[in-house]
Amino acid sequence: MKIEDSYLEKIKEEILTIIEPGIYYCYQCGKCTAGCPISYVYEYQPNEIIRLIQLNKINVIFNSNSIYLCTSCEICSSRCPQNVNIAAIMNYLRIKSWHYKRFKLKRIYNFYKIFLKIIEKFGRSFEPLLIICLNFLNKTFFNDFDSALKILKKRKIKIIPELLKNRKEVSFIIKKYS
Amino acid sequence: MNNIEQKNQKPIAYYPGCSLNSTAIDFNISVKNLLKILKINFKEIKDWNCCGTTPAHNTSSEMSIALSARNLFLAKNMGCDEIICPCVSCYCKLFEASFILNSNITSRSEFEKKKREEILNLFKNMGFDTESELNFKVYSIVEFLYKNRDLIRQKFSENKIKNNNIVIYEKEKELLTQLKPVCYYGCVLLRAEYSTKFDNAENPVSMEEILKTVDIKSKNFRFKTECCGAILSLTHKEIALKLSKEILDAALEAGANSIIVFCPLCQQNLDLRQTQINKHFKTNYNIPIYYISQILGLALGLSYEDVMINKLFIKPEIKKLKQVNFQYL
Repeated sequence: MKIEDSYLEKIKEEILTIIEPGIYYCYQCGKCTAGCPISYVYEYQPNEIIRLIQLNKINVIFNSNSIYLCTSCEICSSRCPQNVNIAAIMNYLRIKSWHYKRFKLKRIYNFYKIFLKIIEKFGRSFEPLLIICLNFLNKTFFNDFDSALKILKKRKIKIIPELLKNRKEVSFIIKKYS
Repeated sequence: MNNIEQKNQKPIAYYPGCSLNSTAIDFNISVKNLLKILKINFKEIKDWNCCGTTPAHNTSSEMSIALSARNLFLAKNMGCDEIICPCVSCYCKLFEASFILNSNITSRSEFEKKKREEILNLFKNMGFDTESELNFKVYSIVEFLYKNRDLIRQKFSENKIKNNNIVIYEKEKELLTQLKPVCYYGCVLLRAEYSTKFDNAENPVSMEEILKTVDIKSKNFRFKTECCGAILSLTHKEIALKLSKEILDAALEAGANSIIVFCPLCQQNLDLRQTQINKHFKTNYNIPIYYISQILGLALGLSYEDVMINKLFIKPEIKKLKQVNFQYL
């Protein structure tokens, strides 16, 4: 229990020092939530996320779906009257939850894992393999079957992956930071 | 003319990105053909890699910057400082990397300075030239076209003067005369923390201005910068479908018959998934989604095949006209 608390405290300290020192300037006007396109599925709204960080309840944020569903459209940051960079905070929390293996939404977790693996191997993204692996891991076998057929019919996709000459450099970068 | 000659001296690097190489091949080809007829000297970056897009950005900021930095250094090896990047997601990542790497930026925070040193060290060990001055300029396609409006206008009026030759083909003329578009900017281009904010983030007009140079008037639109759901369409489809449906709704409300975009992911969500939207919400949308490069290309004399209109999933319905609008003759 104690170990868990210590890394959460560290995350808050890092947010305050390097990401957004002005987190206590938030006066809960809710403009971020009003603008957010996916707030309707969030368990905690963007302004509530800021409050939760102020109250040292990062654990609660990690266990809710909000930070994982965020599409980084940055409406919240650009409309904040107090210039709190909410999108950067959300992104930082997402990175930390990945780092500490607390990433809650499995479907998105699988997507990121497979995508990064594919770039590591080929150097570029390769959609057919991505969709097949993703559907297999998420057990949504016929998801986007209709779209896949349409794309194949229009020949908008390459069936053989393109390999980079220096793909070692790319896989080195990905291995180093993941 | 002086302007064009100057551009010919130093080529601009072109970074297509993964989607433009597969599902958005029409965007790639139309942008390339458009740049060719505008006589802009560009070279594709050799051996470019994926920018990592959302998965890299959401799991490690250093990884995201390093992946884009490799592309920037490859461009530098080709002797280019300026990079055109049509894909919005790639653009944001490349711009962030250029902000971290460029030598002349002084407004960096301590954290960003530390990142810069780490990335430079990494690339030095990989054998790239990190010692010389770094001065990358990354353009999104809209910003680039907006800056070169005069060039487009000049080309358009040149075409008009050549009265006797067929400058715009028949089918293309009909499409352009029947076009009643709205411009959709997507969410992140003008808002992102790391991007050149060349236009208003809440009510941008750059696309409308570009289209005005070729006499295309677009409708006023209240969903210009709403989010389309982006990559959630792969994992949480209901959300992306709902957000995309709202955009299509607003376009119809504005009295438009088509939407012009410049982001491959927005195009995919609105075009490819329009049948899924129709199925899910029991609606009956049939709105073609064009890339801005396709429409500009047609107006400047490219053919259907040159801009790959046939690759769109929602085909434009074009009525045969007896008389084509005079301005495209």
